[in-house]
Amino acid sequence: MPDRREVNGRVVESLPSALFRVELEAEGRPQVTAHLTPEANLLRLRQGDGVVVELSGGDARRGRIVRRRN
Amino acid sequence: MSTTKSWSELQSMHRACRIVVDTLDVLAQAAQPGVTTRELDRISRDCIEKAGAKPAFLGYRGYPATLCISVNEEVVHGIPGKRKLREGDIVGLDLGCIVAGFYGDSARTVGVGKVSPEAQRLMDVTEQSLMHAIAQCHPGRRIGDIGHAVQSHAEASGFSVVRQFVGHGIGTSLHEEPQVPNYGPPGRRERLVPGMCLALEPMLNAGRPEVRTLGDGWTAVTADGSLSAHFELSVAVMPEGPWVLSAPYPFEGKAASA
Repeated sequence: MPDRREVNGRVVESLPSALFRVELEAEGRPQVTAHLTPEANLLRLRQGDGVVVELSGGDARRGRIVRRRN
Repeated sequence: MSTTKSWSELQSMHRACRIVVDTLDVLAQAAQPGVTTRELDRISRDCIEKAGAKPAFLGYRGYPATLCISVNEEVVHGIPGKRKLREGDIVGLDLGCIVAGFYGDSARTVGVGKVSPEAQRLMDVTEQSLMHAIAQCHPGRRIGDIGHAVQSHAEASGFSVVRQFVGHGIGTSLHEEPQVPNYGPPGRRERLVPGMCLALEPMLNAGRPEVRTLGDGWTAVTADGSLSAHFELSVAVMPEGPWVLSAPYPFEGKAASA
């Protein structure tokens, strides 16, 4: 059973055009920039919010925010 | 970080893997036109419990069945149900069990009756790319070498690699560190050390690599509706190279001598 290519993170900064800087909890990589997925529908995502990030295939510094994490 | 396994722990993993492989052999025979996916799920549960093991997927993050069964455009995590298999379908069978606290995990894709040449080629290339992945499991190589081996073989054959799901370490839980992507540059990520156990599982699509998850929260399908195949083996990194714990049919001899 394959694992999901998703990691937990926390929003550290909200950037223009629905882009966020996210700090990853594991992975040993400090930060990625992430767009929201179309399905995420995360209005008012703010600094400090926990999110689940799906990492991009090619570029380890970028990802997509899949959903909010409580 | 990933944990390495002792010799006796590897024995338990091997036992769990043998039960999974034996059950997959039964399921591959049982996957005939007209059989529902729920019937296959029941068979798998019977086999695993008769062997004295525990299903690994049942209840994992709320997964409702013993078997993941993914037909045609379904990539992975298909939930067994009323769907009847039809001649020409390709069926991904993914199964895991627990013996003495250790997990075995393995999958293969089989054709129902006669399948199209394109579907057969997709299954063949997926299995070949798994073999390329296993060939990388020597101490000192890196996780990235595995992904690179899969991706180069798959894309050279005209198929695409699913990125949203990855292989994983395996042992006392189903998903352990490290994650093992089936793509990416060689020479990167964690270094392989003896005693590491990895579940390698390339998932290849005939069309584009994107997948989406259906409303049941589990079933992943290709975004463009193209066919998808999935093979998985649990492998231990040994000082002398890979030991395929869930060695199926063509590897019988190799596993016995390892």
